[in-house]
Amino acid sequence: MTDDEHLGRLLRSALPPIEAGASSRDPWPRVVSRCQAPVAWSWLDAGLAAAVVIVLLLFPSWLWLLAYHL
Amino acid sequence: MPETPDRELLERFVAGDQEAFEALFRQLSGEVHRWVMRIVRDESAADDVLVEAFWRAYRGRARFDPSRSFGAWLRRIATNAALDELRAQRKRAGTATADERLAAPASADGSIAQSVALAFRALPPKLQLVASLALIEERPYAEIAEALSLPVGTVKSRVSRAAEALRKELARMGIRP
Repeated sequence: MTDDEHLGRLLRSALPPIEAGASSRDPWPRVVSRCQAPVAWSWLDAGLAAAVVIVLLLFPSWLWLLAYHL
Repeated sequence: MPETPDRELLERFVAGDQEAFEALFRQLSGEVHRWVMRIVRDESAADDVLVEAFWRAYRGRARFDPSRSFGAWLRRIATNAALDELRAQRKRAGTATADERLAAPASADGSIAQSVALAFRALPPKLQLVASLALIEERPYAEIAEALSLPVGTVKSRVSRAAEALRKELARMGIRP
């Protein structure tokens, strides 16, 4: 038996492979409410948006570059 | 993923049709749940990851090309969500895990299993994910590579890094793997 096989056996004896089926609860209602929740803006998102606006105000011709990447 | 949703259903999903989304959820959630359970190894965390994965899929539906495999796309999203969950678990466990690791040395069989589990959970999330899928669940490298959008060679190298880290940690605990 190689070292890797031995390690694998040791791992499987401590953490048996998962035999689970589908979730015991129906998570669909949680998916729906998550999808309907308003998307929160992080500080990073707000900072990036502000940076883009500032750059476009300073260099309006870069709008084409931005449009190309979008 | 075994079931392949039809093209028309996928196009409706991309267009934002809620019924199509629910049909896809009903068709694939069991398989996604099984997959994420193999990674996070906890029922409640797997439920959270499942919700997160379908939400991310819904949010990013405009980027999905209905001519491609929806199952493979969804599995990649679910794998990334599961990896984020492992990172969050590690952050939450942070100091507790470090304290437990200091108290390690193993003697009897039960405590060997406990130490192995502890060493496994101490792996960095990226390595824990591949170790779980490759070494415990014995999934093929190609399947893991596809789920992570990585080349097979990268997965192999992560698995051997994980094995090396586990051996080191177990040796430190006085267990020779």
